[in-house]
Amino acid sequence: MKEEKSFWRKLNAWINGEEALIHADEYIARREQPKKRQWLKRPNIQEIKSNKGLYWFLCVLISIVFITIMLLVVSNLPTFGDPMDPANNEVMERYLEKGIEETGAINFVAGMILDYRAFDTFGESNVLFLAVICVLMLLKRDKKNISEAEDKEIAEDEMLDAADHKSILKVGAKYLSPLIILYGIYVILNGHLSPGGGFSGGSIIGAGLILYAAANGHKKMQTFFTFKTFTGISVACLLTYCACKSYSFFTGANHVGYAIPKGTPGNILSAGFILPLNICVGLIVAATMYGFYALFTKGDI
Amino acid sequence: MREIIAGIFICMGTIVFALSLLGIYRLKYVMNRMHAAAMGDTMGLGLVVIGLIILGHDVFHIAKYILMILFFWMSSPIASHMIGKVEMLTNKDYDERVHGK
Amino acid sequence: MSMEVSTIIQMLLVVFLIASAIGVSVTRNLFIAVIVFMGYSSIMAIIWVFLQSPDLAITEAAVGAGVDSVLFFLTLKKVHALKGTREG
Repeated sequence: MKEEKSFWRKLNAWINGEEALIHADEYIARREQPKKRQWLKRPNIQEIKSNKGLYWFLCVLISIVFITIMLLVVSNLPTFGDPMDPANNEVMERYLEKGIEETGAINFVAGMILDYRAFDTFGESNVLFLAVICVLMLLKRDKKNISEAEDKEIAEDEMLDAADHKSILKVGAKYLSPLIILYGIYVILNGHLSPGGGFSGGSIIGAGLILYAAANGHKKMQTFFTFKTFTGISVACLLTYCACKSYSFFTGANHVGYAIPKGTPGNILSAGFILPLNICVGLIVAATMYGFYALFTKGDI
Repeated sequence: MREIIAGIFICMGTIVFALSLLGIYRLKYVMNRMHAAAMGDTMGLGLVVIGLIILGHDVFHIAKYILMILFFWMSSPIASHMIGKVEMLTNKDYDERVHGK
Repeated sequence: MSMEVSTIIQMLLVVFLIASAIGVSVTRNLFIAVIVFMGYSSIMAIIWVFLQSPDLAITEAAVGAGVDSVLFFLTLKKVHALKGTREG
């Protein structure tokens, strides 16, 4: 084939733009076989065992470096309880003196996180919502995320759930979970009067829901808590929170020109927006906790 | 006088708790350990709460303590039952272990 | 050496806290690590009560000792790191 590659042929190829095709045979011969890439490199146990001393040394070294840095930072912190340190400024005095008068909440922690610093709490609720969305993307069972083994497992679980409909666990959960959920509701509704509030009460309600779901199975839970309920609760609560605080910020965030009455401190219906905001946060947290559980077990809410 | 009686009850409760911890530490099999742990949950907690009830000065205090005891006495046996059931279902040497040979 | 009883109890609790924190990171068995972490959360809840913040204590007890460990166990089951379950 060598003589065929004459000058004319080369010129012809150049004009036609097929230069590369002439040298194709050589190129193919010269080219290396593409390496098979190993994406999942399994660690070699022997190698690790021979390097054990080095790993140990590195672990200790890194730990010591970080511990030293943190201890240095701690030693430079101002003394705890010192009247001159920068944490004891006029903000704290203002909170202590005028807090109850301005927010109307007896439990002052609730007044702080849901009134003075309500924006932080809004961010926290959004973080929870974001977290459950990430878990949803990873673990939701849809068309592309099904394996036969899991199907079999779920069928077995449902069979077991249906088989013993009067087990001790089910009877116990029947009496215990309403009590737990009731306690959670109490903690949320008294958030501005006694210790507790949205986050703690919401996680207690979530624990009650998890107990009910673990005892009675997924199918029974879906009679009143479906995916639609979950999204509805989360989005509605976040929007309500946003609307309430927007109104508060719109009026200047200083409780002037603010049509919501504060009521007498100590009553259930007092403290302005704190009670509805507590309810919103509690519902989000409860839905998120149960959502995590359902997504991790069944891959579906 | 009231304080002394309450103190005796609370001390007895803590001793029972310590014994149940010793049992959990010394026994090596799940079922035996469960037996030791249940003792602390029922008798130890009961004695401590009786002591606190004697110290309590309000009806609502006492009601809360009784609710606490009720909750524990409902939830702890169910949890123990589930642990035992899982052990029975998953341990392959269950018969040898429990009944001998 | 005159110390109040509550100070001694708090020091004991802090020692237990550090011990369980080290225990979580040292333990090889993941199942045991999760249970030790539950103990860590319970001790932390009691310390919050001593530091006069019952709000945080309730949250720590409900989230740290209750819901968190359930989620950890479910994760361990999901990655097949528990003995005695279906794939062991």
